[in-house]
Amino acid sequence: PSKSKRVSGFDMAPPASAMLAGAAAVAAAAAGQLTGIPPVI
Amino acid sequence: CSRLHTKPSISPTLLLSNMYQRPDMVTPGMDPQGQAMDPRRIQEHFEDFYEDLFEELSKYGEIESLNICDNLADHMVGNVYVQFKEEDHAASAVQNLTGRFYAGRPIIVDFSPVTDFREATCR
Repeated sequence: PSKSKRVSGFDMAPPASAMLAGAAAVAAAAAGQLTGIPPVI
Repeated sequence: CSRLHTKPSISPTLLLSNMYQRPDMVTPGMDPQGQAMDPRRIQEHFEDFYEDLFEELSKYGEIESLNICDNLADHMVGNVYVQFKEEDHAASAVQNLTGRFYAGRPIIVDFSPVTDFREATCR
């Protein structure tokens, strides 16, 4: 390990607010609504 | 490019889609708050990312090549290509990385058909 190593970004979960938005998007998708998620290029 | 990107079922090379996000991705040279960024800080940010990746991926096997697309245009933005010496080690990395997060975003990992980066072009 090097110097004063920063914390790795691995396993840094999304903020709770994003999790809620994600859950809402999943629920909306399940209900057959469009969620405005851009397609993967 | 036909966009018909094949995903092999096994390969020594992995693609981690859109994993690197430049700190000045919104406006080149500016942070998200619109403040000018020292180019050295942008470079450090990239190097920290590279170090995180190298450290994590080395847990699964010896790395032959680690390439990060540090671009701003949409195409392949932030894609990471890692080639292991052994297919088995790439497979282990897929198993271990699937479903995890990096910096608050899900890791999207697949096998990639690329084996020679000098010849790697979209056709």
